[in-house]
Amino acid sequence: MTATELPLRDVERELARERARVKPPDGPPTLLACMSNLIVFCNGSEQAEKLSKELPAIVALHPARVLLVIAEPGPPDKDVRAGIEVWCKEGENQTRICTEEIALRAQGACVAHLPFAVRELLMGDLPTNLWWTAPQPPPLAGPMLADLTEHVQQVIFDSHGWTEPHRGVAMAAAWLEHFERGPQEGGWRVASDLNWRRLKYWRRLLAQAFDPALVPGALESIREVLVEHGPHAVTQAWQLVGWLASRLHWKVQTAKVQPGVEFRWQVATPQGKVAVCVHRLPDGPAEVRHVRIACSLDGKPGAVDVSVQDDRRLAATLNGSGRATRTLTVPPSSIADLVARQLSDRERDPVFRESMAVAQVFAQSAMH
Amino acid sequence: MAQSNAPANPLTAGMPKTLLQQPCVLVIFGAAGDLSWRKLLPAVYNLNVDGLLPSNFAVVGFGVGSQGEPDEWIRNRARDGIQHFSRQPLDESHWADFARALFYVEGSFADAHAYQQLKAKLEAVDQQFGVPGARIFYLAVPPNAAGVCVDHLKDVGMVADAEEPVAFTRVIVEKPIGHDLDSAREIIRVVGKVFAENQTYRIDHYLGKETVQNLLVIRFANSIFEPLWNQKYIDHVQITVAEEEGLTHRDPDTGAVTGSRIGYYEEVGALRDMVQNHMLQVLCITAMEPPWSLDPDIVRDAKMGVLRCLHPMTPEDVDRSVVRAQYIGGEVHGEEVPSYRHEVRDYFAGRKQPIPADSTTETFVAMRLFIDNWRWAGVPFYLRTGKRLPKRASEVAIQFRDVPQVLFNAHPDVPLEPTVLSLRVQPEEGLSLRIVSKLPGPKVRLFPVKLEFNYSAGFGGETPEAYERLLLDVMAGDATLFMRRDAVEAAWQFVMPMIERWAQSRTRFLPEYRAGTWGPLEADKLIAADGRQWRTL
Repeated sequence: MTATELPLRDVERELARERARVKPPDGPPTLLACMSNLIVFCNGSEQAEKLSKELPAIVALHPARVLLVIAEPGPPDKDVRAGIEVWCKEGENQTRICTEEIALRAQGACVAHLPFAVRELLMGDLPTNLWWTAPQPPPLAGPMLADLTEHVQQVIFDSHGWTEPHRGVAMAAAWLEHFERGPQEGGWRVASDLNWRRLKYWRRLLAQAFDPALVPGALESIREVLVEHGPHAVTQAWQLVGWLASRLHWKVQTAKVQPGVEFRWQVATPQGKVAVCVHRLPDGPAEVRHVRIACSLDGKPGAVDVSVQDDRRLAATLNGSGRATRTLTVPPSSIADLVARQLSDRERDPVFRESMAVAQVFAQSAMH
Repeated sequence: MAQSNAPANPLTAGMPKTLLQQPCVLVIFGAAGDLSWRKLLPAVYNLNVDGLLPSNFAVVGFGVGSQGEPDEWIRNRARDGIQHFSRQPLDESHWADFARALFYVEGSFADAHAYQQLKAKLEAVDQQFGVPGARIFYLAVPPNAAGVCVDHLKDVGMVADAEEPVAFTRVIVEKPIGHDLDSAREIIRVVGKVFAENQTYRIDHYLGKETVQNLLVIRFANSIFEPLWNQKYIDHVQITVAEEEGLTHRDPDTGAVTGSRIGYYEEVGALRDMVQNHMLQVLCITAMEPPWSLDPDIVRDAKMGVLRCLHPMTPEDVDRSVVRAQYIGGEVHGEEVPSYRHEVRDYFAGRKQPIPADSTTETFVAMRLFIDNWRWAGVPFYLRTGKRLPKRASEVAIQFRDVPQVLFNAHPDVPLEPTVLSLRVQPEEGLSLRIVSKLPGPKVRLFPVKLEFNYSAGFGGETPEAYERLLLDVMAGDATLFMRRDAVEAAWQFVMPMIERWAQSRTRFLPEYRAGTWGPLEADKLIAADGRQWRTL
């Protein structure tokens, strides 16, 4: 990494110098590995410092040119300040395989120049992704997000840390539709939520536990759904409820809120009514911890309980059926893992959009 | 698809098919063997670590050779295999999770009583893990044992109806599928008596390799290649599978023999071991017509189309177009290595078995073949494979036709290098395109340059092992990457004239090549007769 700050115009030249510097004498040319551009937006130095530690792990899984964009409060800078870093590892035959990071900082009103700096440093002919790490939900983010997403194909955000989760979820579906439609005809954009990715194993295990081939009629007989989550994980719980409701064609009828404790809805289903409750646990990890779905199992009243077993596994118990507990290994996923894997998943996920549309209805009904 | 009768599950919308497996038990026949130790158990462990196995899954090994308490023995064996061969290192917390679902039943494949014990064990495992009777039987056994195994499975009622969606049974049959066309048909017949075709997965691990699968993507997801992928633009194709290993494994430090494949290989040779299966499968993917969908049977129909069009060889064609050879002593990695015949003698002497008369098993095969269809008419495909070659390297190389002899190719000072697209299967998965460019300077001087893409450097992360992908596919009931019976038979049909011609010749000496070289002179002459040469890898 160059210790000193660079003028923007010198960035490419300094990166080339740095790559040449790390080449072993008489070794093969340094190889630049780059599958994508990754713009990482963060609010302030403290967050940038935290994220910087994750970046090498991300590019190890998904080599990318990283543009770390740091917007800081304070009196305006004169110019955007740049710094570079080159990470290398040794490949076959002494080849040094490198990836690059460019940090772009601006303060005060100068922040508005950051998107211009980004445009000139993107590598052409590669997919471009924005990882929006600011706590503002994208629907509420304003012009900075709009400017940075001008040329991106994917925005990755994390509803886990949203400062206004209710408003964020209530506006998410409309924003997703608008964003993915994009500014140009024929353009391709996708928005992805890391929180949705975290729910992958919950969704998979629930799908397996309610497999109609194994427990016929269980899905149609659902009477109650309880989702319990730790503090700051309400959006994840709503997404899970939104997913169930969208897949099973449930419609929200009434809502009741106990602020800071729980949300209760009554939903209409093709078979009747279901009581849905999202309950906040007083402590514990910020994630969904337990789901209980009361239904008929083998013609008798029962319930499917899914919970975190030992941080490595989810377990689904079919109470009342005498069937064995089903378990699924959940590999630990750091934020770097999640982001790196999301960078390679560029497909639109209609199930996510449909789930968010229903989650939006849940959120709006609760806000009213 | 074995799962086509399953009722629709609205909660699985949007989930990848390979992750929609039902709970099941993987039963490995021959679990004490090398394949299980080196490949299968590490593959299942990696799938467990990656969270890709179905909820409720267990592995039961079956066979002889355990020592002490069988479950403990297989767990120790698996642990050792994972420590030596796993893509991901052994992690104690995952290991505990994995090991609790690992069991072993000791018994001979021919012993009916052992199958009763296996059945009882599976029922207990079903109960413990909530598996609804679904089974995948992996026959990691010698080909002549397959019939006995499946007959006993049927006799004890462990084979479900072919259309059963939940308590399904599937069987994986390992290569070699037969020793010749007749024995292959016999194995297919005996397995087919018990398992329907949609329950049968004939595995060729080459098809699970990322680069082999990528061949389809390269051809059909890029607009520049497929229009050129025919006799009008392609001069010839070379498919190489080179191995530096011989048939005897030695400890690199002590030089002591740690393992040998001579017992197997002496009866098989390079043609049966590599060409009849792996190389012809890769050839099929390279040369097939675009399938109209990715449905397993449509892709397999397209591959079958290539096998049907292979120009059959007469005995004279075999003499002209196929070279077999055997390595003599030479040097690999700076160390002297013995000849194949020497290894054979050592092997049988060490086991106090009769030493065969000097072996004529081929350790190297090269051939020229043609595909008689519109796309490939007149385009030679050169295949070569061998043991004890200078390095481990497998690739498919597409050499394009020369540009017209005007401009830069009119009177070149140096012959103009042809454009070559090379797809590397191993060891470094990737692809390269060699083109010609102008060297900087006032003079027009041309120089070949290589545009290179390396999987691990370019995409980061690790590439899963072929067996991981293939096991997942069987669990999900996807047969795309497995060989259909007609393809197995067609591949044998193509190589039978070679086997028969060589059997007739009764030669006592094959052409030889020194270990650590790229094969015999005869192979060079084979391709040189066409005005071409083997690629240097």
